Amino acid sequence: MFAVLQSIALAIHFSYQSYPRARFMSTAGDVSGKIMEIRHSVTKHFNLDKANLKLQEENIELRRQLPVSFIPLQSGMVKINDTLYRQQFEYLPATVLNSTYDKRNNFLTINTGAFQGVEEGMGVFNGEGAVGYIFKTSEHFSLVKTILSDNVNLDVFLSSGAFGLLKWDGKSSSEVYITGIANDIEVRVGDVVKTRGTGGIFPRGIVVGHVSEINTVEGDPLWEIHVKLAVDFRSISDAYVIKNLLKEEFDNLQISRE
Amino acid sequence: MKNNFVFHSVLFLTLILSQILVFNQLEIGLGVHIMIYPMFVLALPFDMRPATLMILGFLTGITIDWYTNSFGLHASSAVFLAYLRPKLFSFLEPREGYDTLKRPLLRDMGRNWFFTIYAVGLLLHHLWFFTFEIFKFSEIFFILQKALLSTFASLLMITMIQIIFFNKQKEL
Repeated sequence: MFAVLQSIALAIHFSYQSYPRARFMSTAGDVSGKIMEIRHSVTKHFNLDKANLKLQEENIELRRQLPVSFIPLQSGMVKINDTLYRQQFEYLPATVLNSTYDKRNNFLTINTGAFQGVEEGMGVFNGEGAVGYIFKTSEHFSLVKTILSDNVNLDVFLSSGAFGLLKWDGKSSSEVYITGIANDIEVRVGDVVKTRGTGGIFPRGIVVGHVSEINTVEGDPLWEIHVKLAVDFRSISDAYVIKNLLKEEFDNLQISRE
Repeated sequence: MKNNFVFHSVLFLTLILSQILVFNQLEIGLGVHIMIYPMFVLALPFDMRPATLMILGFLTGITIDWYTNSFGLHASSAVFLAYLRPKLFSFLEPREGYDTLKRPLLRDMGRNWFFTIYAVGLLLHHLWFFTFEIFKFSEIFFILQKALLSTFASLLMITMIQIIFFNKQKEL
């Protein structure tokens, strides 16, 4: 009896990433999503001030980039409204209903789902920086696997140009690591870490955090780079889901290479 | 018997709801994770058969898993605890056996019995949980730290729940 139940439980645990059947048991399910929504409707008021401030800061940052905030320095410049640019990324707003940051794999439940056009594998970020990617969706909710998880391997680059993979060791909710940067590349404390945008999940250049500490690895020509995350996972209240309009084209190209 | 059924159903619901809605939201730091639902498994009647214990443990755990996105971890640890419970209880069994009219609670069994059984039970449960959550031999000290601190926090919470809600005056 012990062996049977134990093997069921552990089989679910060790296969949940690759085994879709086990996935019904998560807070993105419609029943549990509903309960999380009810919980959120009570607790959201506790963080309202902080959430508002964050949105305000983001608005200011965006407003600074509007044309009205600039004065022309050179009167001879001509503005051309051209067709050289085409929209590649669209953003869906979402409210975070439930979140953890202290577990080994940390998830967010958000209130947008397949009905609003969310698909598994899409990137998620908020005003502060990159958050994670969509792990599972249901009709009206989605589960986001955050950077604070095993094997997230986000592709990032530093302001100096070097790139590597982001890892989390499961301890602090504000610190992650970059591996795979050779120690003949110059890295400075304070360098901004941004997404590289190679998988088509994130656009290039979404902030992840900044370098807080650099150590050498014993017997390995690599840096061990500590990164302070830009996102405060303890008080995350809003997020945007990234929809890559050219994802299909990008994926087809990747497949045709093989 | 009917009384028992009502008592344990209410206990099941309240423990699971407070675990999901309150204790899972408390993230204290240092890896402390308060788990109060093991109390349901430990508080089941003395004369319950081991197989029934394990099935109920599995159900409790899988419900918690459903709401914490931990996919079978809690179910596995709760089954482990239910499996150990009869062995654990037999260590401190009185000579004439357990009185089946009593319940395995602080109120009925006294302080010594309660703290020994609950502390050992919770510690083993937490060790199992964190071992499988982290599953890396190189982080064995982190596993031990998490298990010890969380056991202390969970035991404190469970003791408080039992003192407040299951006292001698409010005999259920």
